[in-house]
Amino acid sequence: MSTLALERQIRPIYDSLDSGSHKSALLACNKLLKKHPKNDHLKALKALALTRAQKFEEAIALCEEVLATKPTDDGAINALMHALRHLGRFADLVKLFEDAFKQQPDNDELGRQAFFANVRAGNWKAAQLLANKLNKQFHNDRYIFWGIMCTVLQANDPMTTAEMREILLKLAHRLITTSWKPAEVHADRLYLFVTILQQLGLYKDARELLNTESGRFHCARNLSCDYLRRDIMRAGDWQREEAETAEQRILSKRDRNWLEFVSILDATFLPSALPNETTCESNSSSPSSFLQRVEKTRDLFTKVAEEDGSHERAAWLGLMELERRCGVHGIVSEPSRLLDLLKRYFRIFGDKAACFEDLRPYTDLGSDVLADWLAFLEGITHSPPSNTALSRFINAHKLLRHGLSVAQLTPDQEEIRAADLVRGYFEALPLEKDLPNLELQPADDLAVLAGQVYANAFTLDNAAAHLHKAIVVLEYASKKSPQSYQIHLELVRIYRLLGAPQLALDHYRLLNVKQIQNDTLSYLILSRSTNFSLAATGDLTYASECLESSHIYFSNSQETSEFIVKAFSMEKYSQISELVVFEERLDNSLQRDLVKIEHVRLRISHEPITPELVDMELIELKFIFDRLHHDNRDLEVLPNYQPRGQLSFLSQTTLFGREPATGWLSAFLKIYIKTLSEASDLDPSVEDDKLLIGDRPRQCCSPDASIPLMERLTIQTTEELSELTENELALFHYVNDLTDWLDPFHNFLRPQGESPKQAPKNGQSSNDGVPSDGNGKKLEDAPPITEPPDSILSYFKNAHAKFTGAVEGRRPFYEILHIATLTQEALLLFFICTKRFKDASIVRINKLGVLAQHIKSLRSSAADVVGQIGAQLINISELEGTADKRRQFIEHCEALQTHTEITHEYVLEVGKRLTESQRKVLEGVGRGIERIRKTPM
Amino acid sequence: MSIIRPFRADDLFKFNNINLDIWTETYGLGFYFNYLSRWPDMCSTAQHPNGRLMGYVIGKAEGSSHDFHGHVTALTVAPEYRRLSLARTLMNFLETVSDEVYGGLFVDLYVRCTNAIAIDLYEGLGYSVYRRVREYYGSLGLGPGGKDEEDAFDMRKPLVRPNGRDMIVSAHDVS
Ligand SMILES: CC(C)(COP(=O)(O)OP(=O)(O)OC[C@H]1O[C@@H](n2cnc3c(N)ncnc32)[C@H](O)[C@@H]1OP(=O)(O)O)[C@@H](O)C(=O)NCCC(=O)NCCS
Repeated sequence: MSTLALERQIRPIYDSLDSGSHKSALLACNKLLKKHPKNDHLKALKALALTRAQKFEEAIALCEEVLATKPTDDGAINALMHALRHLGRFADLVKLFEDAFKQQPDNDELGRQAFFANVRAGNWKAAQLLANKLNKQFHNDRYIFWGIMCTVLQANDPMTTAEMREILLKLAHRLITTSWKPAEVHADRLYLFVTILQQLGLYKDARELLNTESGRFHCARNLSCDYLRRDIMRAGDWQREEAETAEQRILSKRDRNWLEFVSILDATFLPSALPNETTCESNSSSPSSFLQRVEKTRDLFTKVAEEDGSHERAAWLGLMELERRCGVHGIVSEPSRLLDLLKRYFRIFGDKAACFEDLRPYTDLGSDVLADWLAFLEGITHSPPSNTALSRFINAHKLLRHGLSVAQLTPDQEEIRAADLVRGYFEALPLEKDLPNLELQPADDLAVLAGQVYANAFTLDNAAAHLHKAIVVLEYASKKSPQSYQIHLELVRIYRLLGAPQLALDHYRLLNVKQIQNDTLSYLILSRSTNFSLAATGDLTYASECLESSHIYFSNSQETSEFIVKAFSMEKYSQISELVVFEERLDNSLQRDLVKIEHVRLRISHEPITPELVDMELIELKFIFDRLHHDNRDLEVLPNYQPRGQLSFLSQTTLFGREPATGWLSAFLKIYIKTLSEASDLDPSVEDDKLLIGDRPRQCCSPDASIPLMERLTIQTTEELSELTENELALFHYVNDLTDWLDPFHNFLRPQGESPKQAPKNGQSSNDGVPSDGNGKKLEDAPPITEPPDSILSYFKNAHAKFTGAVEGRRPFYEILHIATLTQEALLLFFICTKRFKDASIVRINKLGVLAQHIKSLRSSAADVVGQIGAQLINISELEGTADKRRQFIEHCEALQTHTEITHEYVLEVGKRLTESQRKVLEGVGRGIERIRKTPM
Repeated sequence: MSIIRPFRADDLFKFNNINLDIWTETYGLGFYFNYLSRWPDMCSTAQHPNGRLMGYVIGKAEGSSHDFHGHVTALTVAPEYRRLSLARTLMNFLETVSDEVYGGLFVDLYVRCTNAIAIDLYEGLGYSVYRRVREYYGSLGLGPGGKDEEDAFDMRKPLVRPNGRDMIVSAHDVS
């Protein structure tokens, strides 16, 4: 058949792939491959179709086959590139293009592709060499700069040593200096040059470069260059000069960028400019000249502030910042000066929502003027009613609250404050009628504030009644302003605290969190989700939420490197390092792996524990263990209105007072890696690559990576232990004891040559050189059977006692659930860890009958305890969701019913949903435990 | 008082207070990175001195030689920082770059016909409606107005260009 005819037959395969019909693409490939079994293009297309159909193993094998032929055909290369990219095989991509370029060294395009492949894989050194080669061959400036950029990236790679970094930066410096053509400079090349100088500490040279005509041109028009210029001026100690530039920009260009004001303030308070009280060194300026400088800055800012009036906040805030810094440096100023500024600012900008945040740093007032300030704020009323009056009233409330002293923070007083805020909210609502539907209601802030006051009252006395009121108010406000994310966020947090996970999830979903927000916000709902999960009963709500929130990491590994490549081809050097760092931060996100471990915890509670599950999870968790994590969680998303010095609203609504972080993660990874590696038959030296689809994650320099993993698992850090709750810590120790006890028997039974354990340090491994009977079993005797440590059974007994104590002590539901779910987890881990000893014939052949007996009796005692916990949970769930509980709820919220909007029916409705949700989770977890207890392994 | 600085890739980790607002869409990573890898100088973030992000503008330069212009793709300010002239400042920035760096003839943008506040803002800044685009937002899914199809105004503002100013962008920058 002619090539043309074949091409015509191939085209429909592309159409099928484009339209997502992988099946028909695959069929077509197979059909054509029968006639052209050696055609690379067809094979590559088939690999692509397999990839899209998620048949990864087959796809990888086929990719490798085509790769080995070193294809040069455009079509084959292209199809293979797409397949490899989808599979995350960046190392193979490099090979593909480097091979192709070697065979066609005159092909500029292939050379570029080979360069890009190295960029995708983060091979900066190889990329740099290629860029040089490209330049020699094709003479294009661009390639020189690519090479320089790669040298800088290599220098800043975490794996590069300090000495090497220096050498590389100097090399980059030499290269850029020799190829610099001032006349043709564009902003991003200038940016690259200056960052190299900056990293070498050559600030003078950097300044000179920025001061050239093109340098000045770009700084005036390119924010990245200008931002870098500020860094250079600061690093080089040229603040005075920078202040002059800033003053000019403020006065003649009417620039109100806060950075200009900061430059002037920094120059005013330069350490060398400060009067030195202790010594009389000649180089410190005299007190009087320093005071003059302060005076001069004050005059300048005052002039600008008066001119700007209500148009701009910058100069006004500059004046307050000046007073604050004077205070820090012990310069006595007119005490009323700051107070006057605060009042003036409030009068001018009090109707802006940002007013509170703007003023907060300046309200740490001395006792002489504090009373005056508070009296001023208390005088701000909400009449005559108008939107501006309302905004002022809200700002005054926030500021007053910020200044409350500890003595003023009793539950009763907080209740009174909350009631005031709620009254204010209902009074303000009529104002909102005229607002466009989608605008935020200014009054919402009063509800948000009230929610925080109630939460603080709860922190003080643990009475759920406060939180009940909070949800009644917030639910009402959220109906009025469904678009207010702050209201939903508060409800998410409060419902979790009340042990009503479904309602929390409902509000979380209303936030419409998507894409990158999954990484930064999912902690709000998914942290410790095992605590509330009903996965054991087959309800996979939380498990699927975990999976959904993890898609973003796949997008990151698919997409971000493409834009790093793009930035190279567009020569946007200012963006490349930032995109590289972004990719790394998201790839190694702490939240990613916290969710991963939650998902594993949920998974074992509802899926049969198969060897595949054990092996797959084990491999993934081991990779995670060596990651250097970045915490990208957005802990600032919720504004905090709690008084100065108190816990923030977010902390107050964090279960057990502390969000899991790297220590918690590492402790749970240890728990699971230990347990799963006992159960697994994998050999650590071959397991990983075999089962991995994409490339091995890039290794970061972790300090103890030289110690074998299994040894590192036994190390306990204080960070880890401090992040665990008392009950989690108990689980941690339990798993240690359990695995220590069973480890020799696992090693003995595990098929020969595939022991995941490292040989003991003294070299006396129990299975070294032991002859095997050909079935993988050893002919030596089993290790002597030991009694199980007492701690295993007492773990369950203690858990039961704590559980009963929590129930009788009427502890919050989430605490009761915490003990129950952890005990369930302990039982599941026991199952995993003892499964190998369930096989009667293995036990018989190896004479492990006594051990099996121990396990059996432990198992039945543990299952008994867990079963009792489950039954008790079901019992207490029957007390929830009852008319009695609803009545109690209504009583708690009685005071709120003085507002005509809050009707009895409405409160009843909120209460019904709450108690029903609480009942459901208690009962569901109880039933899940029942099921697990009864599962035959 | 706000810091006006370049929009950076890692702003994506912190822009929740802006993007959780219903009028602001959160796109896939590729959307932001496409702009950053091509027109980083057309993207800027406003930040409060306390570190919180306040708003941002994302734009591009496009068109053929006779209608080369700046385009505002996204402009948004977090609810708690509205009415502080931030949108005005960010638009000013984008117009200056469109003019002085890219030599654009005008700046244009699309805005939902129902977004009265934004339309007011743009009119106040000298933009006028150039045409109405039917169902422009239809393909983008449900708008906050709840309708699945929505029309947009294409609004434009001419840039005054004194003669003889050099453009400093090479052709491959704008492809
Ligand atoms: C539209 C938006 C960007 C305005 O941001 P902003 O920083 O508050 O606007 P500015 O303070 O710079 O306002 C400039 C002028 O616009 C007008 N304006 C802005 N908001 C207004 C409002 N809510 N009501 C009436 N006029 C308004 C005013 O004339 C204002 O000048 P003034 O304050 O001196 O009277 C902001 O409301 C927003 O982010 N909305 C959601 C996203 C959006 O709609 N983006 C536009 C999509 S194309």
